[in-house]
Amino acid sequence: MTTASLREMAHALGLDRLTDAHLAQFEHTLEIVAQHVRRLPRDLPPAQEMALIFRAKGPA
Amino acid sequence: MMSELGFLGIAEASDLLRAKKLSPVELTKALLERIDRLDKNYNAFIAVTPEAALAAARQAEAEIAAGRWRGPFHGIPYALKDIIDVAGLPTTAHSKLLQGNVATEDAPVGARLKAAGGVLLGKLSTHEFAIGGPSFDLPWPPARNPWNRDYFAGGSSSGSGAGLAAGLFPAALGTDTGGSVRNPASQCGITGMKATYGRVSRRGLLPLAFSLDHVGPMTRDVRDNALMLQVIAGHDPGDPASADEPVPDYTASLGDGAKGLRVGVIRQFYAKDIAAHPEMAAAVEAAVRCFAEAGAEIRELNLPPLQDFSACGQVIMLAEAYAVHERWLKERPEDYGARGRERLLAGAALRAADYIQAVRWRLQLRDAAAAAFRDIDLALTVSSHDPACRIDDDAALAATYSRQARMAFNITGQPALVIPAGFAASGMPLSVQLVGRPFTEAVLYRAAAAYEAATGWSKRHPAGLAG
Repeated sequence: MTTASLREMAHALGLDRLTDAHLAQFEHTLEIVAQHVRRLPRDLPPAQEMALIFRAKGPA
Repeated sequence: MMSELGFLGIAEASDLLRAKKLSPVELTKALLERIDRLDKNYNAFIAVTPEAALAAARQAEAEIAAGRWRGPFHGIPYALKDIIDVAGLPTTAHSKLLQGNVATEDAPVGARLKAAGGVLLGKLSTHEFAIGGPSFDLPWPPARNPWNRDYFAGGSSSGSGAGLAAGLFPAALGTDTGGSVRNPASQCGITGMKATYGRVSRRGLLPLAFSLDHVGPMTRDVRDNALMLQVIAGHDPGDPASADEPVPDYTASLGDGAKGLRVGVIRQFYAKDIAAHPEMAAAVEAAVRCFAEAGAEIRELNLPPLQDFSACGQVIMLAEAYAVHERWLKERPEDYGARGRERLLAGAALRAADYIQAVRWRLQLRDAAAAAFRDIDLALTVSSHDPACRIDDDAALAATYSRQARMAFNITGQPALVIPAGFAASGMPLSVQLVGRPFTEAVLYRAAAAYEAATGWSKRHPAGLAG
């Protein structure tokens, strides 16, 4: 990615204060996180629940 | 006497304190003197609190003298990773962003140690926000490994590991989101427990990733670790993830040996998924033989690939961490160290769907592990795939994030204990990881105590520091 396209992406994410050096770091870390994302399964059963639990809070 | 107290453990010190053969004040002064003399080499501490420590030691001394002994932690010096709140002290997370961030309340884990009569010596180095390090561009230098100060101490609870190995204190707390108690335990040759998720309160610590964060005891040997977990384990209604499960006596079965234990070996993690350094693999295989000779029943254990656990864990951790850090990364990115900023920016580009797929996948991985562990008492595998690397070897440091088998058990929430398992030719420690079913920490301590008694690795200390 060019610095300009990285800056545009960062701007869209609200990361407006990143310097060119920070953007280079951003590019590097995007490559790493993309490797993890590619490994995520995309064929989980529709009813597969999340490992997060919401509990409504009852009266104290 | 002063120079002999550096490597006194909790159990041994407690016996002496209770018998009034040693004073908490004498012990505390001896450790403060060691910290003053030695810590410039290891940077374990961010802040030492000598006046408060001596006041707590004098109180413990008076109570023990009056026959009001509170238990094995009474009068024992300890230190806390500096992401854990102590009322009146800054919680910096080793970051410029939080300099002057004074806590108003004690975290429950610290409050429990205080109530047990412990003597807080100060706050310890960490990787910035428990994720980015080692770093040389922060307000405090990174901790260094007492076995060789040119080597990495592990992280993120690096000050905890370094200070224990250097004989600066007998007990510390670390935190573990993807292995941050167990990594410094591996690299510094000490003992670190990540108990079951929910076993120890997370309230009052600066979060890295809520659903993966654990607080864990770090000590030099197994008995001390069990004694410290005994103090900090228990239900906290103020922590939504806290488990309301009974707390057993963690020292009750330490002398029961390994005979009859069913031990799975997760060989795929270090022989197939990611090949470990030969010396590390050999150390784990030697531990397997040790358990077999002690009468344990050994069997192979297979889990989903290590890379699956790693990918799932990294996506969850980076997404949750970004949510915590988003505002600071937008407003003050220049105030992070380079390593912390790079790691935390990773979460910015993750999509909600990616995070949710990872969180859904997590249950499948947890269930696969639960099925595999159904017929065994514990499993053995590597913690780190390599002995410690040099602290200035950027490529080797980057590799430590993937060449480890710890995140798997943050994903499943199972208890995992790392203990010393010998030394590499470089002189740096080797280690083995013991993993149990949820809430079976006592089984891990029993097995680890048997291994420790058979090998004696935890009795070794860095040259020039013993005494």
